Amino acid sequence: MVRFKNRYVLCEVVSEDPRCRQCIEDRALGLAVRDAIARVHGDYGLACCSISFTVKYLNAYTGTVLLRCRKDSYRLLCSALPFVRHLESRAQRYPCCLNTLHVGGTIRTCQKFLIQYNRTQLLRLLQNCTNEEERQCIQKSLLSCSLTEEQSQSGDEEEDDGTE
Amino acid sequence: QNSFTVCFSVGYSAVALNHVIDFKEKKQEIVKPTSPSELFPSLPIVQGTSKRIKVLTRLTLIVSDPSHCNLLRSTSANIRLYDIIAVFPKTEKLFHIACTTLDVDLVCINVTEKLPFYFRRPPVNMAIDRGIYFELLYTPAIKDSTMRRYTISNAISLMQICKGKNIVISSAAERPLELRGPYDVANLGLLFGLSEGEAKAAVSTNCRAAMLHGETRKSACGVVYTVKKPRKVEEEETAVPACKKAKTQA
Repeated sequence: MVRFKNRYVLCEVVSEDPRCRQCIEDRALGLAVRDAIARVHGDYGLACCSISFTVKYLNAYTGTVLLRCRKDSYRLLCSALPFVRHLESRAQRYPCCLNTLHVGGTIRTCQKFLIQYNRTQLLRLLQNCTNEEERQCIQKSLLSCSLTEEQSQSGDEEEDDGTE
Repeated sequence: QNSFTVCFSVGYSAVALNHVIDFKEKKQEIVKPTSPSELFPSLPIVQGTSKRIKVLTRLTLIVSDPSHCNLLRSTSANIRLYDIIAVFPKTEKLFHIACTTLDVDLVCINVTEKLPFYFRRPPVNMAIDRGIYFELLYTPAIKDSTMRRYTISNAISLMQICKGKNIVISSAAERPLELRGPYDVANLGLLFGLSEGEAKAAVSTNCRAAMLHGETRKSACGVVYTVKKPRKVEEEETAVPACKKAKTQA
């Protein structure tokens, strides 16, 4: 059967600078990843990986990124991700690192993993909560996790994660 | 201290703090390791499980002369306080001695410059038999391009001799942003020539085995780890006599 098989790599952007979160955008991230692949695997690696390379999903509040590439070259991509050192956007350089969470064959599997991961993150936030209102907010969003409405919920609740 | 918080959030369950002793200077005393409770008031919990993170202490000796090895044989009390002992040999003779006779857990492989000696099969095989692990660092590779070339060439030459067994990949991170998650480090292992299963083992099972080797060294005999299993067997036994009783009564 003729079908192009893709791999979707789910990563998280970790940085110390809180301003970095606000300027995560898909073009800057795509350029940073391509640059890392070029440095590690050279021209051949860059050409292989950029056949079907896009940033499919980006969540600036939680720093979650979903990248797509071909199944044949996902190993090149995954082995070059640790070498991403900084993001450049609007003439500013922010040091950061990418943390790979999950590699899946479809967007749906990555989404399911992301829901579970966000649930554990919310639980951890719940433990560190100081305010009673925040606690209730988080408990409410935990109870209403589901496949369709998770992404909007996690976007609202993770704001305090971004400001911590 | 920030690096530790990043570790915890990324999913590591045990961290080792490294003290480096360089023998080129005269009269180095082995310092008592700072106990982990001095650094954190309370250890955070590992993400995903409910256990606390283990913090171990580790000593690295940079040896460039056979007389430095005498320190390991001395019964200095401070050495016993460290959980893991690693040695960083600079010459071929020292590498041979470290693999065959020295009482260490890890042998560090230099990644920042071209190795002055080639690996040979006999000492490497003896080290594997004794349960000693070879350690590769990955943080220089992230920082600098020439270091990356040396790291990869040294790592691949090691792989060709030892076939990917007994490898531990660790970071010498000084800042929290130089640390990478376990999945990423396993992917780096692929770059070094490991197969996928070996790369994952290099991050997880080999590290645990090195830790247990350190404990063995401290206690001078073997270590047996017991895990609590739910006691189903007892329940069945007590159920059977009850049935028998019922039959006899009926």
